[in-house]
Amino acid sequence: MKMVLPKFAIFCIALALSVGAGLHCVTAAPADFDGVWIPDVKDQHRQETGNVPPWKPEIVPQVQRLIAEEKAGRPFLVLSHCLPHGMPTWMLISHNAFEWLTTPGRVTMLGEVDGNRMRRIYTDGRALPEDPDLTLHGYSIGHWEGDVLVVNTSAIVPQAYIAISEAVGIPNNGDMHVVERLHLAKPNELHDDLEITAPKVLTAPWKTTRIFKRYPDRHYEIVEGECEQEDLIPGKDAYGNDIFVSHPQRPDGSVSTTK
Amino acid sequence: MVSPKIACVAASLLLSFGGIAAAHHSGAAYDMEHPRDMEGTVKTVNWTNPHITFVVEADAKDGQPAQTFAFEVSSPGVLTRSGWTKRSLQPGDHAVFHYAPLRDGNPGGFLLRVKLQSGQELSFSLQPSDE
Repeated sequence: MKMVLPKFAIFCIALALSVGAGLHCVTAAPADFDGVWIPDVKDQHRQETGNVPPWKPEIVPQVQRLIAEEKAGRPFLVLSHCLPHGMPTWMLISHNAFEWLTTPGRVTMLGEVDGNRMRRIYTDGRALPEDPDLTLHGYSIGHWEGDVLVVNTSAIVPQAYIAISEAVGIPNNGDMHVVERLHLAKPNELHDDLEITAPKVLTAPWKTTRIFKRYPDRHYEIVEGECEQEDLIPGKDAYGNDIFVSHPQRPDGSVSTTK
Repeated sequence: MVSPKIACVAASLLLSFGGIAAAHHSGAAYDMEHPRDMEGTVKTVNWTNPHITFVVEADAKDGQPAQTFAFEVSSPGVLTRSGWTKRSLQPGDHAVFHYAPLRDGNPGGFLLRVKLQSGQELSFSLQPSDE
């Protein structure tokens, strides 16, 4: 009997640990979000007028001017600089795809518009750092609530836009905080429910949803991204090696972005 | 040579393009309501973000001198998923270009589709159809 109890106890502990470990795995990533997601651009356009942010009164004239400029054929170019979109603009208005990669302790979103369009969402239980460097995409930590990944993002640079279209965006001016609830509305339809708190430019948190679709049968991939905007073109060096050479900006009257 | 499948996809993508502005930045500089056609030869391909551009030398005809057009189009990612490669349109290719002209009257615009001499049509869609 003396031998049986310890064995039984060890069995119970092992069972509890294995169940606990199993639960931990399930909790880490209960839903399959991996793959290439393409934004629902038509819905983005519907949102432009259907759900506008609660801009502060002093911000409204700026927004109205940007809308008027676009209507006049002189759009302000929110994304002309080749910097990362920043948060929350990436999720709000990008027309390009991103790839979602789930690995232990983190989710990584890879974009394709330049060489470093990337979000990391830490799911390993860490807290936000106490004094982080500010970045365009901020610092994101996430946790699973059932099949919903809840993501908190802060430490975003004040220059990051809150953009409602590619021609209308206002810098957040500091202290912005974004909470996202990412979930699958359908097996291949990802919804990002965002709540954007930006006390310098909004009177209240702005809630909006963006939709992304996955097409597993079409084997889409994100492509290599660079944003040299014609600054470099293929050429040769003095040895005849194939290199990229500097290209004078738009001697041909190129129509691309006016900064 | 383009496969019939790709041509069919391009045609259906074109149909789904209506009403969507230019990718990556606002298309307000272009007159989407009054598209035009021109014929010419590709001079330069800039396969880059945020937008690809093609520089095209327009055919001299009706006493008009040759003119250089600059066409902007969507991004490498969008065109790749629409069946293009970096080599779909190359310097020296002669084609018919269907485009939304620049509102300021300069030669150029936002490229909507291309018909190559082979008969192949190239188009794109920001968003795949759900078919």
